[in-house]
Amino acid sequence: MIGQIGKILIISAFVISLAALFTYYKAAKNQLNLKLEKNAHRLFALMGLMVVAVSGLLIYLIFTHQFQYYYVYDHTSLNLQKRYLMAAFYSGQTGSFLLWIMWTALIGWALIKWTDDEFRAPVMLFVTLIEVFLLSMLLGFSIGPVHIGASPFRTLSEAMPNAPFLKAHPDFVPADGNGLNDLLKSPWILIHPPILFFGFAMMTVPFSYAMAALWKRKYTEWIKPVLPWTIGANLCLITAIFLGGYWAYVTLSFGGYWAWDPVENASFVPWLVGVAALHAMLVQRGKDKPKKTSILFSLFTFIAVAYESFLTRSGVLGDSSVHSFVDLGLYDQLVFFLLAVTLVALGMFFYRWKDLPKSDGTSRLLSRDFVVFTGAMVIFLSGLVIILGTSSPVIGKLFVSHPTPPPKSFYNNWTMPLAIAIAILSVIGQYVWWKKYDAESLSEALLGPLVISSILAIATIILGNIHDIAYMIYVFAGYFGVVGNAFIIIRLYKKQPKLIGGAITHIGFAVMLIGILASSAYQTNLLDPETRAYNNAVKHGKVVNKDGTTVMKQVNFFQLDKGQPKKIDKNLTATFVNMKMDNAARPGQQKYTIKFQYKNGKTFLMYPVVYPMLTTSTANKINWSVSPQVKAGLFHDIYLYVGGSSYVQNINDELKNNPKVENVTERVKNAGQNESSTQDNNGKKSDIVSFKFHRGQSKTIDGYTFTFTKFKKASDSELPDSSVIGVHALINIKEDSTGATKSISPLFAVVQKKGKKLSYSPPVALNDWNFAVQFSNVKPMSDEIQLSVSGLKNTAQNDQDAWVVVVAERKPFVSLVWAGIFILMIGFSISILRRWADDKRRTERMKAAKSS
Amino acid sequence: MKPKVIVGVIFIAGFTSLLFYNFGNSISTYMDFAQASTQSNSSNVHVVGDWDNSKPSGFSYKTKTFTFYMKDLKGNEKKVVYPKPEPNNFEQAKRLVVVGQLKDNTFYADEILMKCPSKYNADGSNLKSRGPKKN
Repeated sequence: MIGQIGKILIISAFVISLAALFTYYKAAKNQLNLKLEKNAHRLFALMGLMVVAVSGLLIYLIFTHQFQYYYVYDHTSLNLQKRYLMAAFYSGQTGSFLLWIMWTALIGWALIKWTDDEFRAPVMLFVTLIEVFLLSMLLGFSIGPVHIGASPFRTLSEAMPNAPFLKAHPDFVPADGNGLNDLLKSPWILIHPPILFFGFAMMTVPFSYAMAALWKRKYTEWIKPVLPWTIGANLCLITAIFLGGYWAYVTLSFGGYWAWDPVENASFVPWLVGVAALHAMLVQRGKDKPKKTSILFSLFTFIAVAYESFLTRSGVLGDSSVHSFVDLGLYDQLVFFLLAVTLVALGMFFYRWKDLPKSDGTSRLLSRDFVVFTGAMVIFLSGLVIILGTSSPVIGKLFVSHPTPPPKSFYNNWTMPLAIAIAILSVIGQYVWWKKYDAESLSEALLGPLVISSILAIATIILGNIHDIAYMIYVFAGYFGVVGNAFIIIRLYKKQPKLIGGAITHIGFAVMLIGILASSAYQTNLLDPETRAYNNAVKHGKVVNKDGTTVMKQVNFFQLDKGQPKKIDKNLTATFVNMKMDNAARPGQQKYTIKFQYKNGKTFLMYPVVYPMLTTSTANKINWSVSPQVKAGLFHDIYLYVGGSSYVQNINDELKNNPKVENVTERVKNAGQNESSTQDNNGKKSDIVSFKFHRGQSKTIDGYTFTFTKFKKASDSELPDSSVIGVHALINIKEDSTGATKSISPLFAVVQKKGKKLSYSPPVALNDWNFAVQFSNVKPMSDEIQLSVSGLKNTAQNDQDAWVVVVAERKPFVSLVWAGIFILMIGFSISILRRWADDKRRTERMKAAKSS
Repeated sequence: MKPKVIVGVIFIAGFTSLLFYNFGNSISTYMDFAQASTQSNSSNVHVVGDWDNSKPSGFSYKTKTFTFYMKDLKGNEKKVVYPKPEPNNFEQAKRLVVVGQLKDNTFYADEILMKCPSKYNADGSNLKSRGPKKN
């Protein structure tokens, strides 16, 4: 029922958006027709309200767990926390389209309110056009063999028409849903996707303005009103990129904040193109000599968004991304969307090509036009490089038949020189922006920044032990970007503090560059001496496998035994303190406590997490996932995750040896509470707890403290025939609750039988306490014995022989990456305020001129 | 200012051709073990295949490697050695891509990419073969 309403609402919204499109066209075509335009606004607003209503319905279905709907079934489950139910609204393909459409509607409303008469209708025409395209993705009906869109309100049987069970029972409602992917269960999902899609929606604005400018042949007037929007879109996207990177860094074990993953690139490329467009606009601003570039780049901002949406949503990247993508059958439609946007935009551009005023081409090499334009071009080229790499499944076919994605080094090698160029141009651009220079006066003016940044770079190269020439240049460029722009700020701040936005943004960028190099090229694995020695042996080809082949790979993890500190760095030791179950956060989740101690005595604790991925686990095989922990510091971060532990291995072994059909959630929970104890028919616990200890040590099991005091030689009379050796261990046992004590001396003997050595260890029963103790093994060299106790609960299993395998990395100056991005955001914000005020002044002047 | 335009065009043309040249060199093609064995000096070979769960697999703390057997799409089987613990989702994967080097009849993987069965295309029929994937 609700689903039907939802479907109808989507179709109506689509039809109304077409009507709005048509009305905007009529209103803007010839002379401005305010009455028609008002009607168009009403239609647009109505469409927006319907989209909001559709979203409301979907959220309602999600919160009321109506699993007959595919979207609800596929992305939520009964036990999902409320905040993740909210996030489930946009965690699927169709839902994220819906969010995108809703944000675009919101942007449309803002444009209606804030845009001048001359641009309002034509700009809204193109915003509406994009809404039409996006809404068509959600239509979900078929005309013959052509499917248009996928509705979020599909029922299970509509979504899986060929599933035999659903064919027989079309009204089947599952009791529970699939649930949200465990990797996504993180507070970051509440904030990262909405901001990202808001950024995508804002990128509609420069595109629409550029289209309107072409259509209405107002090639210069569009720049001032579009500037604050463009900066806003860039601010929004960089915020989203930052949140995504931070999310990946602190909660996913991807190993860092950036991996050149296609999805990351999908948000990064539109940002780069947007920044290039912004700089092209700045060159043109306030002048009567327009540049084709600002229009072209603005068109490319949204083409980039459309292209990256195609890449990530159509499934073509299936093989090369760590993110999960689904082809909902939208492949052809996404291709159409991309081609339509591109053809409409470029078609319009070339249609007006001759009409577009020519650049007079007289700018000098060191004019602000030329330098800033070159900067924009370099930024644009970086975007192209990344698009090329991301497109390998498509473009790579030119070279090989089944192209693989390029290695990360492809991206690193190409973006590094471009980043160096951008950092240097960011300084020169700022200098020539505010004052006229020729080559001589410029080098004189740049002398200060050059000297200071050279000193800083040399100091860093020496202190940081940098050997790579490219890194040296890069470090210098980074410092030059910071120092040069700082000079500008100092100069500007005295006169016009409002204008420092650009220079601040540039500083942020340069700081980020330094942070990126330090944290990625100079990250080190923290390893214990044993593993270091092993790696060193591997390096020299000295490690040989059983089958005679040489081991070639070094390892980046090490094992920590419980309570035993290991030195993992010159002045840092790590100790595995304990593991605790954290069933409240996720059933079966384990929280490990690792203690770190510096040479100077300072300590800190880290709590990496391992949890079972219940959505993909079965009762007999659990998929474990990890949540890393980051200890952030000013100079370096320590990044750590648990790659395995005795606890996880015990559960895995148990599941392998003891397959049971049981609810996986219960199984995981129970496993956490009492390890391996099973009850026999009499209700008596029948498990055996084994533990080792040295002479003089104590161990507490299930409320009893065992103390191993000494060995006593066994007399021949108590030993069986043909014994080789026999020994008693004197054990004091104390019942902790009452304080009662007993002493026992179980026997351990080795017997020679038919040439074989067998151990003989009769259990000593403690009838009052209902358990028996067996002296099951001895290590004569180390005075260590093993006792096996039957009848006690296994509380010491976790303690005894517990270990974790840890991957730990030291990443220097990640703090600079974040600091750089924050400075970037501040710079963008200052610029928005300034451009916004500029544009307001302009409109007020225009109004005043009209009324007088 | 014609010369500047010419310099610009030459720069862009040079940049693009270098970029494409390098791009073409840095990507490789998915292959089978037989093809991989002819490229034993390359350590960036991508082989597609399936895990053979009838043969022993597992992580050894002694050799510090995760070892398993993989059948490529033509049915050839090779031992794969991976210097890290067993990756998440490994046994769920419908298809594997191992990236690394084939040497002495053993594939030394630097990376294992897993293609997981998707809950989305359980019916599979009306969807394209470009499947989703998860790691």
